[in-house]
Amino acid sequence: MTGILSYGAYVPPTRIGFATLAGRPARPDDSGPERAVAWSDEDSVTMGVAAALNCLRGFDRASVDAVYFASTTHPFLEKQTAALVAKVLDLRRDVGTSDHAGSLRAGTSALRAAADAVSAGSARRVLVIASDCRLGAPGSALERSFGDGAAAFLVGDSDPIATFAGAHAVADEIVDVWRSQEDRFVHSWEERFVIQEGLLPNLIEAVRGLLAKLPAAPAVAMRAALYAPDERSHASLARALRLAPEQVQDPLFGRLGNTGAAFAPMLLAAALEKARPGERLLVASYGDGAEALALVATSQIEKLEPRRGVSWHLARRRAVRSHEHYLRARGLGEREYQPARDAGLSATIHFRERDADLAFKGQRCRGCGAVQFPIQRVCETCFRKDDFELLRLSDLAGRVVTYTLDYFFPTPEPPTIVTITDIEGARVHLQLVDTKPDQVHPGLAVTFCFRRMHEVGGRPNYYWKAAPLPEGDA
Amino acid sequence: MAESLRDKVAIVGTGCCQFGENWDQSPSDMIVDAAYEAYADAGIDDPQRRIDAVFTGSVYSQKGPHECSDALKLWKPVTLVSNYCATGTDAFRCGVFSIAAGVYDTVLVVGYDKPKDRGVSGPSVMMNQVRDLPQTPAGWFALCAATYFEKYGAGREDLARIAVKNHKNGTLAPKSFLKREITLEEALGARMISWPFGLYDCAAQTDGAAAVVITRADLARSFRPDPVSVRAVTVFAGPNPQKDPGNDFLSWKPTVWAAQDAYRQAGISDPRSEIDVAQVHDCFTLTELLSYEDLGFCEKGAAKEHIASGSFALGGELPVNTDGGLKAFGHPTGATGVRMLYENVLQLRGQAGPRQVKDAAIALSHNIGGHPTACGIAILART
Repeated sequence: MTGILSYGAYVPPTRIGFATLAGRPARPDDSGPERAVAWSDEDSVTMGVAAALNCLRGFDRASVDAVYFASTTHPFLEKQTAALVAKVLDLRRDVGTSDHAGSLRAGTSALRAAADAVSAGSARRVLVIASDCRLGAPGSALERSFGDGAAAFLVGDSDPIATFAGAHAVADEIVDVWRSQEDRFVHSWEERFVIQEGLLPNLIEAVRGLLAKLPAAPAVAMRAALYAPDERSHASLARALRLAPEQVQDPLFGRLGNTGAAFAPMLLAAALEKARPGERLLVASYGDGAEALALVATSQIEKLEPRRGVSWHLARRRAVRSHEHYLRARGLGEREYQPARDAGLSATIHFRERDADLAFKGQRCRGCGAVQFPIQRVCETCFRKDDFELLRLSDLAGRVVTYTLDYFFPTPEPPTIVTITDIEGARVHLQLVDTKPDQVHPGLAVTFCFRRMHEVGGRPNYYWKAAPLPEGDA
Repeated sequence: MAESLRDKVAIVGTGCCQFGENWDQSPSDMIVDAAYEAYADAGIDDPQRRIDAVFTGSVYSQKGPHECSDALKLWKPVTLVSNYCATGTDAFRCGVFSIAAGVYDTVLVVGYDKPKDRGVSGPSVMMNQVRDLPQTPAGWFALCAATYFEKYGAGREDLARIAVKNHKNGTLAPKSFLKREITLEEALGARMISWPFGLYDCAAQTDGAAAVVITRADLARSFRPDPVSVRAVTVFAGPNPQKDPGNDFLSWKPTVWAAQDAYRQAGISDPRSEIDVAQVHDCFTLTELLSYEDLGFCEKGAAKEHIASGSFALGGELPVNTDGGLKAFGHPTGATGVRMLYENVLQLRGQAGPRQVKDAAIALSHNIGGHPTACGIAILART
């Protein structure tokens, strides 16, 4: 039976309140509506990797036959995200990779393609990642309604936690929400037109079409993870589909925001956190038509060890204090010089170092056993030559040896916390993120996250950073 | 180990240009100022005939060894040496080797750099690789602070006292850049650069050049009656402390290793009592603090007591950075090691004016640079 074997999600810890976006003071207790915002070192790739790492916990990475990456905000127009992510996740060399793009439906389309591939027998396990990080023009309603985040699913044919029960899609041509190659910000036509002529008719047709294909089971508990750009249109859609309130997965408006191609998948991940065996799940997304998939939770769902899902991430938050901070973090602020667009960072160095930089591989000396980083020819400890085995450091725990707080380098929120971190004896120079300067001390236990380092050469350059080990992970 | 270098080579002339933000001077201008002062100091009025070869040290050189030979119109064997902050000391070492090997009689050593043509007040933030952090030298050298403070109970105030001392000494050196005393409160209250380094914990960025003329010991007195003898000179490489699995972040290995070698060459067993004056690399105050210990001027962990009691102040047991060091002169990387030789030669000849260390007979100079990964040490003796 083809189904979902595991899931994971990621929401950036950074939140910005609607009041802050509008330039008004936040409530003292930060209780107002807000959205999740990817910070300066995050984007679709880093969020997608984080969701995938949560999804793959406890699963053999070598068992992944393909990875599909869905987003409307791939960092490159020409150059694949899925292949980059396959390297970062240290997947097999012969893994299949493809990007799904260009539509808010990309996430559910990728999920459907994965289900089809597994059902057809061309792959046994497919990792599906949906991640989005869209930009609304500063001050616009879209800037407020958007959110950033990612979900990941492992689709396979053995012991699924939820099996696929059917799918239905309709295609439509409508210029309602778009971004051309030249645009930095998403455009939207008049809201009532988008809802009345685009969103509602397409989603209603897709969902009704799907339900018509399924065996009638009105008495069975059902939960629907529905895409809609905002709270009002979401309520209209649920009403039109005659769904009772308890059948609608909380769309998290005012907490997460509309995460684009990742939105319906993230709501599905949230629904899976709570699903009981036998419960029917429905996920539907909109964009140039609409698409709906049905799943049925199995008894296996009770055996899956707890995932880091949407609720885990929503519980972890840090408020941004000003709109200006947000603009700087998203590269929208004015700066004295534009980043250099020249060749910049050497592509050949990037190529040679990709095992270390992307897969975070260190090495263990076969002579003395010392673990070291980066990959080098002569052992740092016993001077043996070319006798090492590679070791993936990203899974291991680390410990801060020493640190400094760098106020000199321009970042949206100085200082930059810089550490020397010990990973099984290897010493690695790493930034520490997701914490405050006064929380850093030698001996601090850390885990590792994949983040953007800099834009030298006019393109994103990714590497790993340390973050405090979450409580309960010791 | 092969035959010792000790006392085979002597310094017979030394010169130093005015260090500072030399907006109106090119590297050539500063090289000419330093070299011609060294010629005059050595009594050389015909450098074309008397100088056999040139060793030059620079990190930011735009034109390679030609920059120096073209400035001086010395069409001779010219070598450009580059070794981080140890560049000046390393150029000197290579020059000393060439004479000790019997290849040349008299050699000019010039260290210089011109960082102030780059349009930034601090050091460049270098990023060549994907995993390069937004990192600066302050960030590299600060990495010993958290660990050292925790183990030995020192703090920012101990560092600030070093800045106060060096600022004060700098007012006594005619060629220094900063000639202003500061208070402990000013040092502690300045804006943060890289914790625990505030602005006053960091050396300034300046332009500068310095030069020495060295010759065979047996020829030295034909230049002037008071040559200064080269007792020892060494340069050591160490592992990158950021990835060295054995690093305790309490000291810098290159200094420890270079000091052992230099003291062996010079026959020194108790550096604190045998050395009379020292110029120690103070790119950051903590670098000077750790170097007191790494150079054996005091026990490990005891630096703060010596800082408090003034052991390393002018008039103390072993005055360090009598001219104000990198703190007051700034740090034109290639020039610094040679500028330290200039100060030590003046001290050993009794020509250091109000900052003179009484009866100085043995002087040490020290640089450490890179991550830090390179250390140079020179020990000079009065003759």
